[in-house]
Amino acid sequence: MLSPEEFEEAYDADELREELPASPVASLRDLQYLYGTLYTLATAGGGEYASYLTPDAAGDLVDTADSLVVVRVDLSGDDPRLADDETGPVEVTRYSDDLVEKVAHCKYPAARGIDHSVTHQAGRNSDPEKLARYANERLTKWATDDVVQETAEEHENGWVVDALAALGESEDALDEIEDGVERELGGESATALLTVRVKTDPAGDYRWPGEVDVFQAAMRARKLSKLVTKNKADDSSGDAVDLVTGQSARTVGTAEDPQNYFLGKQLEKFPGLDIEEAWRTHPISEDAAVTVMNAGAFVEACAYRTFGAKVYALPYFFGTVNPERAQSLYRILYAAATADDESRITAIERAYQYREECSFDENRLRFYVSAVLPHQTSRYDVVGETLNARLLYPAVVANAHSRILETAAFRDGDDATAALPTANWTLLSGDGATELLGPVTSGWYFAETFPRGDDDTDASADDPRIEALVDVLSGTSIPVSFLLDAYVDRIEADASDDDVEGFPVFRVASQYAQLCALADAGDGFLTGEGAKRPITEPPTYETRTMGSRDEITIPDGGFAGEQKLADFIDDTPALANDQRCGVFLLGALVGAVGNYQEWHEDRSTTLVDQFPVKSITANRVKKVTQDAIEKTLTYTRQEKKRGGQTYPGTKFDHIVDRLRERVINPDPDEWDLEKNDLRFYYALGVTYGMNDRSLYESDDTDDANADPEEN
Amino acid sequence: MAQESLDGWFDEGEESASRGERDALDRSSEPSDGTAEASTASSSHEFPERCLSFTVRGPWGHFRRVEGNVVKQTYRVIPRTTVAGLLAAVLGIGRDDYYELFAEGASAVAIEPVSELRTLNMPMNALSTAKSDLTSLNGRGKVSVRLPNPAKLRQQHNYEVLVDPAYRVDVALADDERYRELRETLDAGKSHYVPSLGLSEHLAEIDYHGEYAVEDGSSEGVVDVDSAVPNAVDSVVPDPGTRCQVEESPAFMETDAGGRTTTAFTAYTYNPDAGPLAVRDVETSLVDGRTVVFV
Repeated sequence: MLSPEEFEEAYDADELREELPASPVASLRDLQYLYGTLYTLATAGGGEYASYLTPDAAGDLVDTADSLVVVRVDLSGDDPRLADDETGPVEVTRYSDDLVEKVAHCKYPAARGIDHSVTHQAGRNSDPEKLARYANERLTKWATDDVVQETAEEHENGWVVDALAALGESEDALDEIEDGVERELGGESATALLTVRVKTDPAGDYRWPGEVDVFQAAMRARKLSKLVTKNKADDSSGDAVDLVTGQSARTVGTAEDPQNYFLGKQLEKFPGLDIEEAWRTHPISEDAAVTVMNAGAFVEACAYRTFGAKVYALPYFFGTVNPERAQSLYRILYAAATADDESRITAIERAYQYREECSFDENRLRFYVSAVLPHQTSRYDVVGETLNARLLYPAVVANAHSRILETAAFRDGDDATAALPTANWTLLSGDGATELLGPVTSGWYFAETFPRGDDDTDASADDPRIEALVDVLSGTSIPVSFLLDAYVDRIEADASDDDVEGFPVFRVASQYAQLCALADAGDGFLTGEGAKRPITEPPTYETRTMGSRDEITIPDGGFAGEQKLADFIDDTPALANDQRCGVFLLGALVGAVGNYQEWHEDRSTTLVDQFPVKSITANRVKKVTQDAIEKTLTYTRQEKKRGGQTYPGTKFDHIVDRLRERVINPDPDEWDLEKNDLRFYYALGVTYGMNDRSLYESDDTDDANADPEEN
Repeated sequence: MAQESLDGWFDEGEESASRGERDALDRSSEPSDGTAEASTASSSHEFPERCLSFTVRGPWGHFRRVEGNVVKQTYRVIPRTTVAGLLAAVLGIGRDDYYELFAEGASAVAIEPVSELRTLNMPMNALSTAKSDLTSLNGRGKVSVRLPNPAKLRQQHNYEVLVDPAYRVDVALADDERYRELRETLDAGKSHYVPSLGLSEHLAEIDYHGEYAVEDGSSEGVVDVDSAVPNAVDSVVPDPGTRCQVEESPAFMETDAGGRTTTAFTAYTYNPDAGPLAVRDVETSLVDGRTVVFV
């Protein structure tokens, strides 16, 4: 395959314009046609037969020993005969780069049957007898094939094929080929292509198949014949308008499509999908069908797997592709096709990396994205799809996520911890689009925060992770309630997961970072109505750019926790809702008390365990509030008794006072917040409470009021 | 109100210069005739002068994309051929009998998505339709039906369906008789067959708005178009704040000896959020204060 530089050199703008489709990419077939065109140009070159050839099929044979077995036939005399010159009837040589075009191989992608071209690829390490048989079949099977014969009848040089077939009837000639193959290989097995060279002019050379038009024409006819007979159709073809070019043409009904979206024999609930009539429902011209098939290599190069689904992210440019954009596109596709398998970079990330080098219009760069689940071999269900994904969308989400991690919500202040904990988790430490774009485009972004599928890893047909992934890639807005449902599901699943110890604070923090990022990433990534609307508004947390705690200067006076809580509530639009704020504060209190119980009271069961997320309903809010406040009084009393400390008030009174205000008005019995809204903000509160501590105490303490026993 | 004022204009229309062309069209709509002449005969700039306008909506819709049958993806914008089928259902015209009526040049249709275009996956159980699983009912009779075997296990397939799709459709027909009939049927809120959005189970509701004059819209410079924009992908003015998508669907069909074939496809550019799209140098029309592009 040509490198992008070679490609640019090989085709100037005018030549490229000539080859590129004249209409814009407006369907998957248009896109595949464009890919097929670029692939053909990069591998087989231009010309009448290029799109029919498969120059890469035997790519791993190039420059290996004994990789080309040539039967040499002299047709320059009265009767066809095998070559009797110095080289002899059979030549075994290296299949070198310069022979690729001459050998003109066209593989038939099936386990049995002969290749479309006279050149045939034998199986790996075939023994000499087998290779000898294949060599003979160039004359006995290929040359006598019905379709090849039909072509020969109409072709001015059809006699060449007939002569080969005639020679194949001679037992002596076949024995001679057999002996020649075995002799040349010295009894060794080989992985090889087998082909024929013919001499038609007494004074001329032996010519390769790529130099003999009738061989090429027969190859083309053989390949085309498969487009109308697959899946038991007799002849699914007819005159119609090609859905790719919009031109009238002979269209074929059982052409392959690299993604297997269309198979001829599906009747199902669309009456009239008769296989013989498949060309009516899916009219594609022969040339376009073959070009579409050639897209396979690029299409597969742009696919990746995520939780059991295969995701295609195929880049293209909006509108009619011009030579300049075609070059940029080729650069991205080439990089994908030649990438190390281990690189695991999605096509979207790759395009992002190239965006400056190629200086393309990001506004126009689109992706066809589809997530498919294997149903049977090569039959899929598409579970999420769009022709209109844009680089812009995942990139702004990645940037917004990175931005939110730099705010007071996730970065420690001068004297108090950040509102939420951070750890070495991708969603809590990722830096900018470069680090987060991968997680966003690969689906990891939602795999981290959404419930796992039924069978733990693999996605199901209505998997919310895939839905959210495709939504973000295509800029489709996600309802807030959809996110909250998924978040709460995952929190509850973590609670019953033996591998997750304690309350999943990092999970909740990741989810919250994601929620803020989606709210902050431009217009319309989140939608919510009524009470949920404020959740879609971006929070206004102060940005903190300091590096580490060592640089922090010690302030004097004031209680940092109080100010932090006030700021967090003020800067979070979602908490303007009294009910939501109330349940958040309740969570914060439960988290703070739970933390205290765990570290200072050495209790194995804390308030956090006592009131798990799934137990929280509006009806229980009052009871939980009472229990939690009661505990603060108990611990205040105990501390005063133990250490004789003087308190201005009670423990955690900065939370308790606010909580009292919010919970009383309105009475929780009248709350109308949806269950998962309530539960997520409770979980967020617990996470906040558990993380709420002063930075000047040892890490074991949770509050400004340190345990006297440790002093 | 719009109708009253247009009635007089309607009669005038019959006398207008395009009358001759329409007659030609009517004559060419014999089944044996090709549509080629029809499309050239009436590519007059004047056409259409008036149109019927209605909104079709339903809780679900599915317009199978032609590039799939194993997978069941849907177009977002109702294809023009589906609009034709829908109106044929309203008029009670049979399958394969209405393509002339909606042929290129004999009709004009503008489609405007009026609600956000949203889809979801709906897994459905289906019976096998492999030949071996079909049984013939009344195999030797005049009317023979082949049915799948209900005793076989079901296969589950995903259907991508549109959720609450709604489209405002403006339609003009050169066939005056059919046009009048359509106007009366829509106005009476009637329909011969049950209208649906793609599949028969996705029932549709039609709100008829009335008959409107079609005025020339601006065709120079940048114009905000309310309808989906056919065949002008390269004319769209990109705006980072407006989502703009594209899809190609069948637009015209014709009957032939074996059934029907698609004779042209249209690439629609549209705003999935049901807002306008800015386009440059596209011929537009004004209908009821909205800017639309007919095809």
